Amino acid sequence: MSGRWRVGMDMGGTFTDVIALHPEEAPRTAKTPTRADDPVAGIMAALAAVGLAPEEVEELAHGTTRITNALVEGRLAPVALIATAGFEDIVEIGRQSRRDLYRLAVPPKPPAPVPRERRFALPGRLAHDGTELAPLPEGAAEAAAEAALATGAEAIAVCLLHAYANPAHEQAVAARLAGRARHLALSHRINPEAREYERTLTTVLSAAVMPLAADYLAELRAGLPPAVRLSVMHSAGGLARPEEAAARPLAMALSGPAAGVAAAAAVARSLGEPALLTFDMGGTTTDVALVLEGRPEVTADARLADHPLRQPMVAIESIGAGGGSLVRLGPAGLSIGPQSAGADPGPACYGRGGREPTVCDAHAALGYLNPRRRLGGRIALDPEAARAALAPLAARLGLGVVETALGVLRVADATMARALNRITVERGVDGRGAALLAYGGMGPMHAAGLARAYGLARVIVPAASSAFSALGCVAAETSALRQRTLRLDAAGFDAEAFAAARAALAAEAAAALPAGPAGPRIEEVALMRYRGQSQPLETPLPPGRCDGAALAAALRARHLAVFGFALGEAWEVLGLRVTARLPRTPPPPPPAEALGPPEPFAVDPCWFAPGPPTPTPRYARAALAPPHRIAGPAVIEDEWSTILVPEGWAATPEAHGHLRLEPGA
Amino acid sequence: MSLDPFRLEVLRHALSGIAEEMSHVVMRAARSPLLREAGDLSSALTDAAGGLVAQGRDIPVHLGVMAFTVGAFLARVPAERLRPGDVWFTNLPELGGNHLPDVKAIRPLFAEGRLLAFAVSLAHWADIGGAWPGSYVAEAREALQEGLRIPPLRLFSAEGPDREKIALVLANTRGPEEREGDMLAQVAATRAAEARFAALCAEHGAATVEAAMAALHDRSEAAMREALAGLPQGVHEGEDWLDDDGPGGAPARIHVRIALEGGEALFDFAGTDAALAGPLNTTPSVAAAAVYYAMKAIAGPEIPPNAGCYRPLRLAIPPGSLLDPPPEKPLVGGNHETSQRVVDAIFRAFAPSIPERLSAGGPTTSGLLIFGGRDAAGAWKTLYEPHGGGEGARSGRHGAAATRVHLTNTNNTPAEVIEAEFPVRIERMALRRGSGGEGRWRGGEGVVRDYRVLAEELSLTTMVERRLVPPWGLAGGQAGAPFRIELHRPDGTVEELRGKENRRLRRGDLVRIMTSGGGGYGPAEG
Repeated sequence: MSGRWRVGMDMGGTFTDVIALHPEEAPRTAKTPTRADDPVAGIMAALAAVGLAPEEVEELAHGTTRITNALVEGRLAPVALIATAGFEDIVEIGRQSRRDLYRLAVPPKPPAPVPRERRFALPGRLAHDGTELAPLPEGAAEAAAEAALATGAEAIAVCLLHAYANPAHEQAVAARLAGRARHLALSHRINPEAREYERTLTTVLSAAVMPLAADYLAELRAGLPPAVRLSVMHSAGGLARPEEAAARPLAMALSGPAAGVAAAAAVARSLGEPALLTFDMGGTTTDVALVLEGRPEVTADARLADHPLRQPMVAIESIGAGGGSLVRLGPAGLSIGPQSAGADPGPACYGRGGREPTVCDAHAALGYLNPRRRLGGRIALDPEAARAALAPLAARLGLGVVETALGVLRVADATMARALNRITVERGVDGRGAALLAYGGMGPMHAAGLARAYGLARVIVPAASSAFSALGCVAAETSALRQRTLRLDAAGFDAEAFAAARAALAAEAAAALPAGPAGPRIEEVALMRYRGQSQPLETPLPPGRCDGAALAAALRARHLAVFGFALGEAWEVLGLRVTARLPRTPPPPPPAEALGPPEPFAVDPCWFAPGPPTPTPRYARAALAPPHRIAGPAVIEDEWSTILVPEGWAATPEAHGHLRLEPGA
Repeated sequence: MSLDPFRLEVLRHALSGIAEEMSHVVMRAARSPLLREAGDLSSALTDAAGGLVAQGRDIPVHLGVMAFTVGAFLARVPAERLRPGDVWFTNLPELGGNHLPDVKAIRPLFAEGRLLAFAVSLAHWADIGGAWPGSYVAEAREALQEGLRIPPLRLFSAEGPDREKIALVLANTRGPEEREGDMLAQVAATRAAEARFAALCAEHGAATVEAAMAALHDRSEAAMREALAGLPQGVHEGEDWLDDDGPGGAPARIHVRIALEGGEALFDFAGTDAALAGPLNTTPSVAAAAVYYAMKAIAGPEIPPNAGCYRPLRLAIPPGSLLDPPPEKPLVGGNHETSQRVVDAIFRAFAPSIPERLSAGGPTTSGLLIFGGRDAAGAWKTLYEPHGGGEGARSGRHGAAATRVHLTNTNNTPAEVIEAEFPVRIERMALRRGSGGEGRWRGGEGVVRDYRVLAEELSLTTMVERRLVPPWGLAGGQAGAPFRIELHRPDGTVEELRGKENRRLRRGDLVRIMTSGGGGYGPAEG
């Protein structure tokens, strides 16, 4: 008989965070080393760390950086590409723009993911509406297939012009390859959207990680008891079946960060927050994302390792500034990151030889970090080393160390506020009404300052903020997203064709989900614009049949909301995105322990302004429970993070174990 | 509130964020295809005197130009006439401008009852009237043939749009509906800037924001002086050549004599040819943008670009030359052709002394083909196709294939998008093998792209340089292959097209463009 534990794991490059939930028991969390060489052994070790045998597990949902790392490090399987004749070089040509405007000394472009000798031309030509302009000549598919197979490449990618509108030619080639190519990626399956460079790259990169993904998932399946339900976090913040993930391995490319955002979405749903900005501040980077109505905002045009990856992914704005980022004064002024003190030596306050000041050192110098604690149980904090690292910078600026440290934090906030602005403005959302959900090692310490700088009214520090991404895996809904090009315009709008395309895409998305007692929820977005505009607006579709007038009204409302004006004129539909989800009932909040008013375990000097320090109480997070509020200034600590409550703010424990920070005593 | 170094940083981020947000709004809401796939737009904030403070998404030539636009605008429209809620439009090249299609929307920003800044949105309209669809009149011999000239006009005010004036502007363009969309997108961008800027002043105080803008200028000036001092001091001379004067005459010379001393530089363009017959002339603002780009790329890529950077750079341009032509001269192509020649001349001036800090010659042209025609409903449609080529090699690496260099950075448009919207078929998009110049380090490869005409008739404009004068090799490297444009008729005849001409195309014609390979670096080994 199967167990009843539901386990979430976030398998990062170095560590695996694990959380185990049971209907009748307290949650368990642990952190164990990731085993890149033997993922099954790594999972077994993580289960052991939370005291579980595999047989006790009902469900194992995990996020992994395996695919991400392979892409970033260029560990790609050899691929052969079959492309429309005349377009075999498109993978090398790209979009012809450069990344850096002024810098000439940029490193050379990475080599194309398929070298010239493994790119093969296929005659025959389709038009944008799928019409066949030139048929596939007799024997052409066969010849191209043979040539591709003869390279010995492990995976074969096929990307033909306009295949999103008519897959016939790709299917003809696939028929010659079926059963002979070990892995096959067809562009009309992987990414049925216009723009040949992006589709080709997405198809080629999918092929290039298919062997890795398939072997990995097969190994997991074989190593776990058959009764364990296995699923993988996909980049859009939902869970996928292993077979689905193996068929579309790029969907795992943002698996890790998506898990954190999925957890944030679960928190938003449980608290009923309509708009939430996530703030995941780690050592070297900070990721922010937007969650509206409990669902992560998704983008279909992401980039990774300088490659376009056109798969629906959680829209994450990542900046190279985190706790370990170096603070430097250069010609551009005071900058934070992207250079980082890294894990070794780490910030100066780790006392392991770091000499340059970091953001973390500014916190340490101001007394926020507890000098009696050992970070991760090992590193003793050295506030004096932090002050010493800041001193030269302070001297150059003609200021004291405290003023400098306070200033560094303000600049860090301004840097991050820009990321919050980008992620909201792009979507026509005024982020200032949103709540800020802080996690990651440094997020909870920075959150209130950032909220003040950006004008947000409240901060939430979730329960289990250390194993937050692991929690995201067990809290996420199972979902599948499909996006395709569909060109229809206002003049002679074909409501039949539109309805048929919607239904077909919804059926495809639903088929990717495991069968469940209740059918999936379907959400549909039309990618629409006024004729001549560049990028389409994601326009939510009303349920049921849509005629032209309904679409025009939907676009008008959306355009007004995003840009402040709308024109009553020719519009067009460019594409459709359908999301199918199996809603998951969130576990009920554990009964909050009734605790008395908390007592600080220490009172330390902290600086919130230049001048003498303020005696500031420190509380253990475990000692907090509703309804007792903590008035700032105060510091709250849990095992992995330090939460700063500034003066004029207060912290309130919530029933779910989350902590709410807001202005007001 | 005082301006400590941290508040300055906070304000720098906020001001840059405003400019970024403006570009985002234009990019998404505007209508011209160039703004979408190609990203031919820029945004800026300036101080009350017009000094550039922050910029959004970059086209380097625009941002150089926008450092002058507001200053020249204020010389025509005194600040006393400006009111909150105004949005003024202009495209006059002589007002710190570049060419007619780049239309600037200028909104004055007020705080605490006084003028404090300007938000400027520049967008390349796909058509601004004139003798030929797309407003690139390769055969223009006078400025008036190039399209509608808009002196500063208040098209929007706090009372709303000035409909009659707007109608006058739109009536002089092809595709007025699209142009109205562009115009409204630019207004929306400056409106977003106004709201953000007001919030910034409310939080920090107008005087503090003003002080921050001045401090940012000073800081960039100091950084530029330091960068200039790090270059070999003394005199550097160089020159480069335009393929022809437009109609196909002799190559035209750009000569520069750079005197570097004590953290300042004088760029003297004496010896540059007189104004040309065809539209390859340009404005002193464009020349300044090119100088500024070149010095930033060579000496200090990390210096925040703003008006302070210009202070140590002085230009001497002979009046009447092709860099400061009489106002009646055409100049539409000078913006992206002649400007790039200025960059080449400066690079070549430094080639003998610091080759290791440069790149060899590349596709320093827009490589532009413009197709125009009417759709089934009779509306004008324009397909604007800029082409990259092989990057020049550098010491230590080969040049990249198929890229844009220096002053422009526009994308290409996918075949799958073009074919859905315009009656041409892209029959080939391939690397031009062997086009890179030989050398110790090879120049990058150009591309070959074929356009098949599917309509009864289309217009074609070419605006291409580096067709006769090839991308130069550096430090002993070979030149790259030059551009070549061919017109293949259905009867099998093949004709080579010139770099600046207007042609009628018929159904079945095929236009092939082969773009330049990059110059090589260093002598090729054995």
